[in-house]
Amino acid sequence: MMQADFHTRLIGWLKVILPLLALVILSTLFLVARTINPDDALPYADVDVEERLREPRMTAPTYAGLTSDGAALTISADEARPAAADGAGASASALNGLLETPDGGSTQLVAGAGRVDPAARQILLSDGVTVISSTGWTIVGDRLTADMDTTDIALPDPVTATGPAGVVTADTMRLTQDGTRNGAYLLVFNGTVKLIYQPVN
Amino acid sequence: QQADIRFGGLQQDTTLPVEVTSDSLSVDQASGAAVFTGNVTAKQGEMRLTAGTIRVEYAEGNQGIDKLIASDGVTLVSPTDAAEATEAVYTIASGNVVMTGNVLLTQGGAAISGERLTVNLTDGTGTMTGQVRTIFTPGGAP
Repeated sequence: MMQADFHTRLIGWLKVILPLLALVILSTLFLVARTINPDDALPYADVDVEERLREPRMTAPTYAGLTSDGAALTISADEARPAAADGAGASASALNGLLETPDGGSTQLVAGAGRVDPAARQILLSDGVTVISSTGWTIVGDRLTADMDTTDIALPDPVTATGPAGVVTADTMRLTQDGTRNGAYLLVFNGTVKLIYQPVN
Repeated sequence: QQADIRFGGLQQDTTLPVEVTSDSLSVDQASGAAVFTGNVTAKQGEMRLTAGTIRVEYAEGNQGIDKLIASDGVTLVSPTDAAEATEAVYTIASGNVVMTGNVLLTQGGAAISGERLTVNLTDGTGTMTGQVRTIFTPGGAP
C-alpha cells in the first residue's frame, strides 16, 4: 500500500509543479527571444548622405567618344566628381579606359585618378598609369594625357614597357596615327630608349 | 672567290642579354613590328653593332626576338676586329651575322673588303664572298 500511496503523492505534487514550471517558462519566454528589428528587412544604402549633399558625386560614370580618325575611346571609373569651381574639369577615381582604333588594334588604359581638361579637350590620367596594347606591350608610367578629338595618347614621364621584345625603358611614349600611312597607328617611345632582351634557349 | 677568316675577336656567347639603345622605338600597332631609329646601338657581351635603324623580327608566337635587321650603315665592333657594311642581319639564336653591301673588315693591320660577310659568333669563324680584296701592310700585320 505504501508503494501506491507514494505514487499518488508523487503525481499529486507533479500536477502542481509542472503547470507552475510551464507558467514560468511561458512568462519568461519573451525575455530570451531575439528581438526582430523591422528595419533589417529594408535594404538601406549605407552612404553618408551629408557627404553626398556637400560634394555631389556620380558612381560608375562612363565617357564614350569617337576621335576624328574613327577611334572609339571609352573610359569608365568608380566615381566622378563634377567640375570644381576653380575651373578644373570633372575628376574621377579608379579609371579604366579602352581605345579601339580602326586598324583593329586596341589599347587598354588603367589609372588611379583622372581629370578632364575641357580647355585642351584632353583627359589627364595620373596616380600610376598602365597601358596594355594589343601588340603585347604593357607600358607603365606616372601620367597620361589622352586627346578627346584625335587619337593621341602621350605619357610625358619616363616609362617602362615589357613586351615580346623584352623590357624597354624610355623617356616618353606616344600612341598616334602614323603620318605616312593613314589608318596605321604607331606606339613611339622617345628619349633614351633602352631595350634589354634576354635570349632564351 | 671566297676567303675564310678567323674572327677570334668576335667569338662570344650569344646567350648573353642583348641591349639595344636608340633615340626612338616605334611599334606598329597592327603588325607589332618594332623599329629602332636614331643612332641605334646593339650590345651583347663585348660586341657592339651600331646602325641607323634596327628592325626587330620576332620568333613565332611573338615570343622573343628572332632576328635584328640593321640598315643605314652598319658597323660591327669587337675588341680586336671591326666590320662595316650597309646592311646586317643578326640571328640571335644561331649567332650568325650576315653583312652585305661593300663590306670592309679590319683585323689588326689587315683589311679585307668584299660584297658579303657571314660571321658565326659562337665559333668565331667568318667567310667573305664577292670580289674579295685583301690589303695588308707587310710587317705591319700582327
